[in-house]
Amino acid sequence: MISLNNVTRSYILDGGSSITPVSHVNLHINRGEFVLLVGRSGSGKTSLLNLAAGLIKPTSGKITIKDADLWQLTDRQQSALRASTIGFVFQFPSLIPTLNVLQNTALPSTFTRLSKYVALERATAALNKVGLGKRLGSFPKQLSAGEQKRVVLARALINEPEILLADEPTSDLDESTEHDIMEVLKELHGDGMTILMVTHSAELMPYASRVLKMEEGNLFECN
Amino acid sequence: MTMSFINLALKNIKGNLVRSMMAFICVLGISAFFISTMVVSSGTRASMQKGLQRLGADLLVVPYGAQTDIETALLMGKPSHIWMPQDYLDKISAMQGVASVSPQIYLQSLYQASCCSVSETFLVVYDPKTDFTVTPWLQQNLGRELAPGEVVGGADIFSPGNNGTIELYGTTLNLVGNLEPTGTGMDQTIFFANDTAQEIAASSVTKAVSPLVIPQGKISSILIKLKPGVDVRTVMAQVYLDLPDAVPVSTPQLFGTFRDQMLGLLGGVMVFIALAWVLSAILVGLVFSMSANERRRQMAVLRALGATRWYVLKSLIAECSLVAAVAAMVGSVIGFLGIFIFQSYFSGTLKLPFLFPSAVSLLALYLLSLALSLVTAAVATVYPAIKISQTEPAMGMRE
Repeated sequence: MISLNNVTRSYILDGGSSITPVSHVNLHINRGEFVLLVGRSGSGKTSLLNLAAGLIKPTSGKITIKDADLWQLTDRQQSALRASTIGFVFQFPSLIPTLNVLQNTALPSTFTRLSKYVALERATAALNKVGLGKRLGSFPKQLSAGEQKRVVLARALINEPEILLADEPTSDLDESTEHDIMEVLKELHGDGMTILMVTHSAELMPYASRVLKMEEGNLFECN
Repeated sequence: MTMSFINLALKNIKGNLVRSMMAFICVLGISAFFISTMVVSSGTRASMQKGLQRLGADLLVVPYGAQTDIETALLMGKPSHIWMPQDYLDKISAMQGVASVSPQIYLQSLYQASCCSVSETFLVVYDPKTDFTVTPWLQQNLGRELAPGEVVGGADIFSPGNNGTIELYGTTLNLVGNLEPTGTGMDQTIFFANDTAQEIAASSVTKAVSPLVIPQGKISSILIKLKPGVDVRTVMAQVYLDLPDAVPVSTPQLFGTFRDQMLGLLGGVMVFIALAWVLSAILVGLVFSMSANERRRQMAVLRALGATRWYVLKSLIAECSLVAAVAAMVGSVIGFLGIFIFQSYFSGTLKLPFLFPSAVSLLALYLLSLALSLVTAAVATVYPAIKISQTEPAMGMRE
């Protein structure tokens, strides 16, 4: 489903020196896998996730999603692939403040051929699924951090993607909300979704079918 | 599509109301200023053009040194006393290339005198046999010449007693109609034929506070129509050679002094507007850049969710363009209304020739203002918008 072949990403810093958060990584994620990516802060987890989604270009190496070489695609093709195939849950607050909960959730459907009616129907269903069916007209600033994360999760599901990329979706959340979100992810995995999730929390390992660890830009398999 | 780029832009405008208002007020002010200047400029030009058309002549011959007086008289309706020998008429008629000539005599009503119901008004006496200034209008609208005791007024002339009469030098005259407006002093002018003028002059000796004097054998100006294809300069040269005390003024040159002054003034204003426009573009660009930079992460999220670079670029440019377009529309209407309300101030207090431009001209100016504002918005926003749309989404998310 997702393949990274010998992928490296380096950044040149202002002083001329460089850092390499992802170095010669090889990764193959099969359809339906729930892969957990753990590691210390700054180990390159988020960079790897962004590389897998085509949100940053690798300095070297090849990335394929569903057999499509991501960086051989045009911007339009790459965007279309992201919109239809990948759902995102970001670590930071990523809701558009000027849109309400329903509009935020339906937003990704703008970039697919989904009709407005179907999009709003799906958005409502997804929000019901994450327990926010009664907050459709609320704006992000009126929601708690946990509620915002749940809206983001609902938004990630709107286009019924095959892949979910989640960057610390449960960080800064209380235990109960964390549990709720993980249960939704578990259910999605059960339905056949491929999930790559970055986390700090070792307690979440039981949810995954495979656990990987990033250390100074290198990827290791954990058994 | 649930959220078109226009919808998103509108939501962002609403979400950044203070900044949007700053850009809005900036573009509104400059548009209103631009439109009002353009309307004044266009209205003045239209007025002078209409005035020249009213004269109907290719060439005007006036006494030497009276060019400014004649311009002031025709343009501002300020009475003028200029005289030259009547026999110049025959001399000019005999010149090669001249098709027809017509004399005019310029008089004025008395200042606040009981014998004149209109005070200090410009009076133009024409020869009905040769006239091509008033006669075409009379033929078209009355179907006849003016009878003795009848006058026709410019667009602003009315009967003070509202009984269709005007009293000049103790003689009651019938106001039989008003010419179409030109925006020039001709709108405040009363026209009548030679016979009527002589009647008024004769009776004024006993009826008026001060008699109307029309010097014998004198006229004020000669209007000339040229034969088709004749170079106006050829006839002008003949006038210079044969009539040393007279000056030929080709009608395109008429109002030249005023036009030069106006063009100089408008040129200065236009430079000021251009500078203000550049400054406003910079300000709008800065306001927009600040607003857009704060939303780099938002744009990165959109890209991650499947938006193309083009969608991001469009939504950013649309945001500023929508503000600029609405501001230009409102600003232009304010500019139009301002000039419309104060148009009597131009022709009255400032004595500027001014004719409110036609609906087509106004529409053209409106579209020009709108186009300029949209171009300004696009120029001001295109660089930051391209920069943001080209940023790698993951990089945008870090900011």
